[in-house]
Amino acid sequence: MSFTIARTVEDALAAIAAGARPIAGGTDLVVGARHGKAALPADLVAIDRIAGLDEITVGAGNGGVTLGANVSHHAIEHHPVLAGSYSALADGSALVGSPATRHVGTIGGNVMNASPAMDTGAGLVVLGAEVELRSVHGTRRVPIGELWSGPGRTIAQPDELCVAVHLPQPAPNSGSAYLRLEYRRAMEIAVVGAAANITLAADGTVAAVRVALSAVGPTIVSVTGLDTLVGSVDDVADAVAAAASEQATPISDVRASDRYRRHTVGVMARRAVVAAARRAAGETIAIPVNRTLGIGAAS
Amino acid sequence: MTISTPAPNPARFIRADGPDKVTGSGRYTADLTLTGMLAAKFKYAGIAHGRITRLDTTAAKAIPGVFAVLTQADVPNVRFGGFVQDRTLFADGVVRFEAEIVAAVAAVDAATAQRAVDAIVVEYEPLPVVNDPEAALTADAPLVHTDWASYGASGALVRERNDASFSSIAKGDVDRGMAEAAVVVRSRYDADGCHAAPIEPRAIVAQWEGDKVTIWTTTQVPYDARAGVCETLELPANRVRIIVPHLGGGFGGKCGFHFEAHIAALAKAARRPVRLLFSRREEFLAPDKRRESICYDFETGVSSDGRIVARRVTMVLDNGAYTADAGFFSQLGAMHALGPYRIPNLLAEAHLAYTNHQPSGSVRAPTAPQTCWALESHTDEVARAIGMDPVAFRQLNAVDTGAEGPSGQTYGEIGVQECIERAARMAGYGQQLPGDEAIGVAIGWWPSFAVPSGAYVKIDGDGSAQIITGAQECGTGSVMTLPQLAADELGMSAADFQLVYQDTSVAPYDMGATGSQTLFNNGRAVIAAAAQIAEQLRALAADHLEADPADIVLANGQAFVAGTPDRAVPIATLAGIAAGGELLIGHGSGMPPGPPPISGSTCVGDAGVAAWVAPQFSCHAVRVKLDRDTGVARIMHVAAAHDSGTIINPLGAEGQVQGGVLMGIGQALTEGTSYDNEAHQRNAGLLDYKLQTCADAPPMDIHFVQINTPNAGPHGAKGLAEAPNVATAAAIANAIAQLVGAPVRQLPMTAERVWDALQEVAQNTIGGAA
Ligand SMILES: Cc1cc2nc3c(=O)[nH]c(=O)nc-3n(C[C@H](O)[C@H](O)[C@H](O)COP(=O)(O)OP(=O)(O)OC[C@H]3O[C@@H](n4cnc5c(N)ncnc54)[C@H](O)[C@@H]3O)c2cc1C
Repeated sequence: MSFTIARTVEDALAAIAAGARPIAGGTDLVVGARHGKAALPADLVAIDRIAGLDEITVGAGNGGVTLGANVSHHAIEHHPVLAGSYSALADGSALVGSPATRHVGTIGGNVMNASPAMDTGAGLVVLGAEVELRSVHGTRRVPIGELWSGPGRTIAQPDELCVAVHLPQPAPNSGSAYLRLEYRRAMEIAVVGAAANITLAADGTVAAVRVALSAVGPTIVSVTGLDTLVGSVDDVADAVAAAASEQATPISDVRASDRYRRHTVGVMARRAVVAAARRAAGETIAIPVNRTLGIGAAS
Repeated sequence: MTISTPAPNPARFIRADGPDKVTGSGRYTADLTLTGMLAAKFKYAGIAHGRITRLDTTAAKAIPGVFAVLTQADVPNVRFGGFVQDRTLFADGVVRFEAEIVAAVAAVDAATAQRAVDAIVVEYEPLPVVNDPEAALTADAPLVHTDWASYGASGALVRERNDASFSSIAKGDVDRGMAEAAVVVRSRYDADGCHAAPIEPRAIVAQWEGDKVTIWTTTQVPYDARAGVCETLELPANRVRIIVPHLGGGFGGKCGFHFEAHIAALAKAARRPVRLLFSRREEFLAPDKRRESICYDFETGVSSDGRIVARRVTMVLDNGAYTADAGFFSQLGAMHALGPYRIPNLLAEAHLAYTNHQPSGSVRAPTAPQTCWALESHTDEVARAIGMDPVAFRQLNAVDTGAEGPSGQTYGEIGVQECIERAARMAGYGQQLPGDEAIGVAIGWWPSFAVPSGAYVKIDGDGSAQIITGAQECGTGSVMTLPQLAADELGMSAADFQLVYQDTSVAPYDMGATGSQTLFNNGRAVIAAAAQIAEQLRALAADHLEADPADIVLANGQAFVAGTPDRAVPIATLAGIAAGGELLIGHGSGMPPGPPPISGSTCVGDAGVAAWVAPQFSCHAVRVKLDRDTGVARIMHVAAAHDSGTIINPLGAEGQVQGGVLMGIGQALTEGTSYDNEAHQRNAGLLDYKLQTCADAPPMDIHFVQINTPNAGPHGAKGLAEAPNVATAAAIANAIAQLVGAPVRQLPMTAERVWDALQEVAQNTIGGAA
């Protein structure tokens, strides 16, 4: 049993190579252990004090944004560039838990925890994010959609640390949004969720659409078959809703039946398309879109 | 009959224990540590129904660091229960619900205790699981208690097999009434059980000194807890001391006698202090207090002019595996199913069915919120069936001053009609609303409980005062109101009084933080105790000022001669004089008012809750917005009007209503226990049992209808802790029913259930059109 505090990425990589598990905010790892989901790993390395790992770099790469793995949900929610140009991500971060959870919980922890109900995943998929994984042996970049291999599982090797999430520059005339179905307005977990990224043509019709879904399958579901989908926002929203309900493979549990999840994920996808299209058209809809439009009003 | 005067000093004051609690300086039971203290853990059944064929604690006892392992064989063979003696401390050969305690361990630390628990070997012969209260009452249902007939029980209870308490209220001729009605409406409703869910999980510390035991515990009812320890461990009351540090909420869940005796027995066997700390999961599964599920069949007949002429209702309440304090729930539930209405012909029948579920018990206004939800949903159906506005229908049929209620009680002055009018007005009832919004209205009622209670008051030589009371504070703030009452009586200020409370060896008896009774009864006791001191002070002042004691007035911290305020002496000076002679000590109890008469009704299984002292009334009007695509309902505004008599502290009273309403919203929309086929709770935790959060709290308008209540508590106060929890879910249901086009017949009205109801309406509409 050991607990070490890493000051640098190199410290952390060495500890992980020796078999320790990284712990960032601990809001999944520790809470999960208390709930009996999985025992706390015997060896832990705290990565939350690594200098620079909580930075948001605007203009990285080809004009995109890079988030250090330790960037908190609170920081994402309140960052003007993320809220303005990567709204689906900010919408998701702003919904996480409570103010306390959002200050402590990190983007790295959220994506590496790989819950199918996670609130940043669908947004990251439609925004085309990549994660940067690093080990003592080197660094690689993985498209976010390829990271998750099942509930709570990733393709990362045990000795790999997620050091950053890279977001490409958004297309001109595009906008994005993430919505989730929730039974209460704080401390909630997505019953189902959907993110959309919309690019509008000059005439206001949809030129391109990407949609991803949360809590309706073993991992975040990227809706397929939308590559050739164009048309009015309404028509696209209808087609997306139908595709989302069809491609979802939800389970029944105490929170909802599979029938209800299949139906409501279509509703969420439709609303995500409409909200994203409004943002693409230049309208400001405050983060998170769930609260601004009201779950009942965003039709 | 006494008509009381209004409170002399209605004051908005912040409760005295508030700063301690919000700054973290207050100490709770779990904060206690005693030298040599051990940790306790329970071995639970894990299955809902089974006969123990093997129970072996040898391996557990052999683990180093384990000091005691107890089973039923190690404690007195006592069967206990306030209504039915159907329970033992540990399983007595048969386990009847999943969290029945089979054994208890005390060990050096919690991890060792848990290892010992895991090392206890128990084997079972499975018995058929009784998972459905209605099915439990059929002739061929397996018995939860095969020996039910031999159990001791309160003589008032009518019991038969799995029916632990049958109760009926009948008046007039219900068959004839139905036959003569212009319209008869029948409805079925099902309410799931739910939980009190206080923020503080249970904690108990027990320590023996010689043959005396002190138990620090998270109870709402210290004297009841003491009685349970004395009964099960066969001890006299004066050898058991119960102390309650700050209590982190209760909502009824911490009423009754729970695990104090287990921990006292462990401490005795281990010869060390022992502490029990519950996890959140245990808090959900193990206590014999959760809100009972109930199913209802209603039938109401109305005349063509909209008057209720007959009502018939049958209801089945889930008792769970043991009766706990639910013995009176069948009669209380029947009263709520009849409601505060004028009904000439009626029959209500209620059954309390044993099942293999967690036992039910008093959670804030037991039986009331779910029964009000069912009755008031049904009432809207009736109003609609005869084309009447639901508010007008209630105004026509609800009881009023001088009217006779369903059990044949004729009411003195009551404020139900004013509550309806006020709530409707505050909600803007009748206004034009968007198509996805509607306002639902419901009325509720709740008794005051008149019971014995005691308190001492003393003033020391420096003029500072103490109230030493048996009353218990569970978060309502009612104990915090007592200084105001003593201050009014003695012409002092509330800040002059410190409270000493929650210790059974220090103060006289009180029933505890239960039944909204603290202010009603302990207020009476404190006033009586203060009055004794007031008399002493008047005599001292008369001596000092050379006046007649009858002319002495106590006000503003002084005693003065009526009419000549400058002939005065500070009360502190009088206290100094008394300190050298006869001390200023008052003790009080006062006679509780007796039950009002009822006539013309027949009550079978009469538990004494058909006649209500100082009944409280309320009307809630709630504006709801419905997302028809998902079934998610949002509460936009709540208007709550309450007749709880005189309000002593408006700030505290408003807090009670806000909390009750928010709890009601949870019961309406998200809080319900779900059982699997083997009678295991599926959502025993805060992740899947969804309480409302501050972010969900809607704006509220609150009004108190204050009238001269006969036979009420101090200054005309009734109670207020439970009443605000009664009508909210019902009002929400009536708004949702308007938006859906049909009632949602299950509680909680989860988004998915609302969506299912919407689908059904859509299908019927299509079907009807085809
Ligand atoms: C009350 C509460 C409410 C919540 N509500 C939500 C919600 O609404 N939506 C939501 O999506 N989540 C929610 N969560 C889950 C959690 O807060 C988030 O997933 C959060 O982002 C996790 O981040 P963390 O830093 O706390 O992760 P940790 O718990 O520290 O780590 C989670 C996992 O990721 C691994 N890990 C962490 N960082 C790295 C890294 N850099 N590289 C490799 N592996 C890493 C850990 O080893 C662990 O397996 C909630 C949690 C709580 C306690």
